[in-house]
Amino acid sequence: MEGRPLKDATYSGIWSPDTIESIQEKAELGRYQIRGQATKRRDLPSFDDLVFVPAGLSRMPLEGYRERCDTRVVIGEGRVKRPLVLDRPIMIAGMSFGALSINAKRALGRAATKCGISTCTGDGGMHPEERKNSAKLVYQYLPSRYGLTPYDMRKADMIEVVCGQGAKPGTGGVLLGSKVSAEVARMRDLPEGVDQRTPCRHPDWMGADDLPVKIQQIREAVGYEIPVSVKVGASRIADDIKLIARAGVDAIVFDGMEGGTAASPTIQLDHTGIPTIAAIAEAAESLRDMGLKEDIKLIVGGGIRNGADAAKCIALGADVVYIGTAALIALGCHRPIHVEDYHRMGTTPYECNHCHTGLCPVGITTQYPRLIERLDPDEGAERVANFLNAMTMEIQLFARACGKNRVHDLDGNDMKALTMEASMMTGVPMVGLNGRVPAWRTY
Amino acid sequence: MSKADKITLDGNKLSVTQLNIAIRDAAKNGVKTVEIEHPMARHNLGVAITDPIHLIYKGDVGYYAVSLSDQVTAEIHGSAGWGIGDNLIRGEVVVHGNAATAAAPSLRGGTVVVKGSVGPRSAIGLKSGELIVGGDAGYMTGFFMQKGRLIICGNTGDALGDSMYQGAIYVGGQIHAIGSGCRYADIDAAERDDLYATLDKYKIKAPKSFSKVESDRSLWHFDKKEFEVWKDVL
Repeated sequence: MEGRPLKDATYSGIWSPDTIESIQEKAELGRYQIRGQATKRRDLPSFDDLVFVPAGLSRMPLEGYRERCDTRVVIGEGRVKRPLVLDRPIMIAGMSFGALSINAKRALGRAATKCGISTCTGDGGMHPEERKNSAKLVYQYLPSRYGLTPYDMRKADMIEVVCGQGAKPGTGGVLLGSKVSAEVARMRDLPEGVDQRTPCRHPDWMGADDLPVKIQQIREAVGYEIPVSVKVGASRIADDIKLIARAGVDAIVFDGMEGGTAASPTIQLDHTGIPTIAAIAEAAESLRDMGLKEDIKLIVGGGIRNGADAAKCIALGADVVYIGTAALIALGCHRPIHVEDYHRMGTTPYECNHCHTGLCPVGITTQYPRLIERLDPDEGAERVANFLNAMTMEIQLFARACGKNRVHDLDGNDMKALTMEASMMTGVPMVGLNGRVPAWRTY
Repeated sequence: MSKADKITLDGNKLSVTQLNIAIRDAAKNGVKTVEIEHPMARHNLGVAITDPIHLIYKGDVGYYAVSLSDQVTAEIHGSAGWGIGDNLIRGEVVVHGNAATAAAPSLRGGTVVVKGSVGPRSAIGLKSGELIVGGDAGYMTGFFMQKGRLIICGNTGDALGDSMYQGAIYVGGQIHAIGSGCRYADIDAAERDDLYATLDKYKIKAPKSFSKVESDRSLWHFDKKEFEVWKDVL
């Protein structure tokens, strides 16, 4: 920023300071920039564009702290021998050992166990410590097949076949060399310290027509014991959902473009995929079109910050929300401690997106022992569990306020849209119109 | 199931799941060989077999035969569909015919031998072990190869070994083009002797000579300078 003119009026709308800096940085690097976290765009439609319209006289609310409000979700019920039972409609999203430190994995596993929900391996295989600390563990089956074994598949509580992610749909994973420690390298069969790239498509099937055969293979491998899901990044979501549903899965997972990552080309974070709010209604509609909305659970992630976002996802058709970034923030990400280390990387708490460097000042996204030690897994687990409790109470708060004794009874009629765009995308009625177009008014 | 050296299963009479369960039970009970008659090119025959056993398929198999398995040896007296030997950990699979797209994907160990040709995208993400091909291999074979050995006696398509990290690819015929991040390398006498001995073991006609392709490590780091900076920061 040094040397920039002081008067905003002199900045070009096209050649803004950010654009100029970005071009100059690329001119020095000779490649695109890479960073962690999610898109920082401020112009995306968000769940803030929807509000709940709680009960009043036309419908009676439930007592906020007294009346029962069920949050339980079962994935694969009546379809597999050992369905995945979640006490709350929340799951911890896939984040690999490699992207995260082992202490972060331990903390997330302990918190999820305490709250009766699942965590997820992410790429790179199943670390024994993660299995030990997570009572319910989703095992990702990715194009990389890093660390994949039938033995670990059988230890899992659900298999998630990953075909994409919201932060960078259409691209494989990235784990820069500073995070490919000896242990990470061993688990992934890679040279230590190498910048790991991951293929973006599975090596042994070419498209949607083959997916049912792949799902059958996985079911054969786990003896039809546990549920199988497929995950995509939200982009061509309506068609993707139909193709996945046709393959005979128990759940479908997607995250919108607000989804986070440990490392991605920066430009891709901002320019690929569609926002979660836009994707979710399309996805739910696809399942309803196929008559499968009740059979196949919809798990939605991407920028879910709190119980309000989660409740709105559920009202729009999700069964469960995936949280990644929010869980890490609860764990201590962006926490203003060891501030001098943020400054050494040229950043500060609240704006840090340096997960890719492996130099995480709070010990979450690092493989350096000195930094990992900064994260106490028990303290971290307590913080994440507190957050999960708060989030669950928030979801129940909205359900009860809308007169529902099951959070999954929330639906689009419990909300109004504050903007025409949100209304158009979600089908939720626009505020002030009572479900009709403005022409109804006569003065 | 009683302990026997060899049992025969009839693909005409059992579903894929029943066949897989029967094979697993046999392996668990110490049966040494299972012969599968009438496999009828069905998919997922022999998935997640993790106790030692020898499988004989008396015909063609479909996708993912002998996949996600460990300590298994198999003979396929016919051709194989996509993903033969997918993610095999230890063992050996010999296909007497051809194999389709993506032979031996993400092989973790052991050996997959295809006496005929293989389709494109074979041996992607090879993590260890080896794929041996008596005939030709298609486009993008050896993509993202991490370790292990790939021997192709015939010709290969475009982008051979693209983005490979480690391991070695030996080609007896014409290479249409090697991919990004790899280069031609010299073969020493010990390597050459081992190649010919390996082909002799499987009774595959060896070519007169081989070209070797390996990683040039140019894709190992996005930017070496930046990596040095990170280390300095620490």
